[in-house]
Amino acid sequence: MPRIRGKAKTAEILTLEEAVKKYMHDGIVCAFSGFTGFNRNPVAFAWETVRQGFKDLHVLDRHGSVCTWLLNAVGAIKIQETDWMGWGEMAGKLDVNLERNYKRGQMILEDYSHGAMALRFLAGAIGSPFIPYYAPLGSDLYNPDYDALGRAGMRDGQNPRVARKKFIQMEEPFYGDGDVVLLPAARPELAIIHVAQAGDKGTARWRGVGTIDKEIAFACDKVVVIAEEIVPESDLRKQPESNQVPYFVVDCIVEQPWGAYPSAVPFYYDYDAPFMRLMDAASRSEEELKKWLDEWVYGPKTWEDMIDKLGVKRLLDLKADSVTGYSTRILRGKKPAPRMKMPLSVARSGY
Amino acid sequence: MAKSMEELIELIDRIPDEPAKPGEFILPELMAIAVAHEVRDDDIVFAGTGLPMVGIMTANMLNAPHALLIYESGICDGKTMHVPMSVCDQRAANMSSTLGGLVDTFGYYLQQGFVTLGFLGGAAIDKYGGVNVTSIGDYFQPSHRFTGSGGNSDIGTMARRTAFIILQEKRRFVERNEYTTTPGWWCWDFKTREWKPKKEVWKGTPFADCGPCAVVTNMGVYRFDDQGIIYLDSHHPGVTVDQIKENCGFELNVSRVTGETRHPTYRELFVLREFVDPELIFLPAKSEYPAAIQSLIDG
Repeated sequence: MPRIRGKAKTAEILTLEEAVKKYMHDGIVCAFSGFTGFNRNPVAFAWETVRQGFKDLHVLDRHGSVCTWLLNAVGAIKIQETDWMGWGEMAGKLDVNLERNYKRGQMILEDYSHGAMALRFLAGAIGSPFIPYYAPLGSDLYNPDYDALGRAGMRDGQNPRVARKKFIQMEEPFYGDGDVVLLPAARPELAIIHVAQAGDKGTARWRGVGTIDKEIAFACDKVVVIAEEIVPESDLRKQPESNQVPYFVVDCIVEQPWGAYPSAVPFYYDYDAPFMRLMDAASRSEEELKKWLDEWVYGPKTWEDMIDKLGVKRLLDLKADSVTGYSTRILRGKKPAPRMKMPLSVARSGY
Repeated sequence: MAKSMEELIELIDRIPDEPAKPGEFILPELMAIAVAHEVRDDDIVFAGTGLPMVGIMTANMLNAPHALLIYESGICDGKTMHVPMSVCDQRAANMSSTLGGLVDTFGYYLQQGFVTLGFLGGAAIDKYGGVNVTSIGDYFQPSHRFTGSGGNSDIGTMARRTAFIILQEKRRFVERNEYTTTPGWWCWDFKTREWKPKKEVWKGTPFADCGPCAVVTNMGVYRFDDQGIIYLDSHHPGVTVDQIKENCGFELNVSRVTGETRHPTYRELFVLREFVDPELIFLPAKSEYPAAIQSLIDG
């Protein structure tokens, strides 16, 4: 939220275990980076959060991800204020863990849409208390009866991270452009952002899509950056236009190679679709899920141990091609990927 | 000996652009090509994961090579070599014009009015093209809970026209959705609690005339009349109009049926199978080509 700060933050470098211990707490309102289960999910951080047993989390971001899958698997999420609750490889299908918890009345779901959530974070990032948006008038998303947090009595102004209203529809007052919906800024406490590289001072860089990670970094009070590698700050400053998060908003840096697995970090490694399919299959029975958690979450001593269990062959297959940023060696469907030099559309018709 | 991709590219123009016969293609192929036919060469397309993405990629390689494809995670004009499994897949970002994030795609492109065609999925649809991807039953205690909007409601209401791919069953083709995620040509006015034409609810906004234009299902292709009501345009091969009516939860207008859905051509199937999804991620299996086509390919 808008706040006057005396000085820039100084980012500390912690281990994964230390960072989770220091920055997470029961009932925290937090946001995870990336998009769906495929891209730059801070999985190692969520994994360690499960191991340390934090609960009653209020996740405020735009997607189901590997992180929310893990947290829902142990019932750690109390409120999911989001717009899409599928996850990863199972895109289009609901997270089974979430469905189980929701139907048991253990959690609250608050629905928005992708565009609405992106703009809520933009408002949060630029210090605006709210933002107008057109879509989608006439949708049950903006049915006054369907306000889950209001129904739970949480919109009483007591919690500074829960807006007093889900939305307000009003006539656009400046140009007469019909009705718009005013959306409250998103103001979580903690952003957890997985990036490719972080400078030792905190400047962060990723390649590939940005999703809403820059907005999240500015909308949250505290920012933990999980990096594939920590590099000299001076190196990132040779090409500052390639950096997205300036160091002065970052509180903590964790170096965790393969820390987004099984999601992808473009130019580092690809997503592991078969592994995500196994996760989804396990979640369909509580007994199987428990076995999966014992094997992959509680069993390994460290995240490195977890990755080690995957074996060298799998890691080699997932390693990204340095030109395209993804791997053509991993078997995603039923047949291997063909060797391509040029997209067909460009080869035939140019741009 | 398998041919290289370069050799296969050379072959495309030699594969006849004639309709394939029933049995020479499978339903997902027919549906993906039906999607491709909705795309125009000057479209700016915003599509969701799955068959919509496969269809617009096919269009981009054949009938609409200059269509600009937007993927919601932040990708502008991605030129894919390998089919992405998600809209945030690095494969979708390949050789794109610019990369940004959701504020770019939903704000700068969509709400700014640039998008001319949305292509989306849905769990259920009503007779006005309103789509439900949220819940069935009581909203707070649903019998079925789906993923929620994602970009569906944004794209479906602000793209100039939107097409949907939906599995057709009686319970999915309904008079009125229990939960309207993405309003069609009629929707709620929550200020007066009246069910109204979208044009009235959205009056004065830049998007009053934007809405659904087509629906592709496993049984047929649908369009919308002047009143914003859905009608059957064509039935897929092997499906009768009566079967379609049986799988529809309201009185369906079948007076404007033009006949069978256009079969995919051999060339379209060749591009779809060899270039769009050769890894068989969205297509369930690779069908065999008829002998004459196969001998052309084998050369």
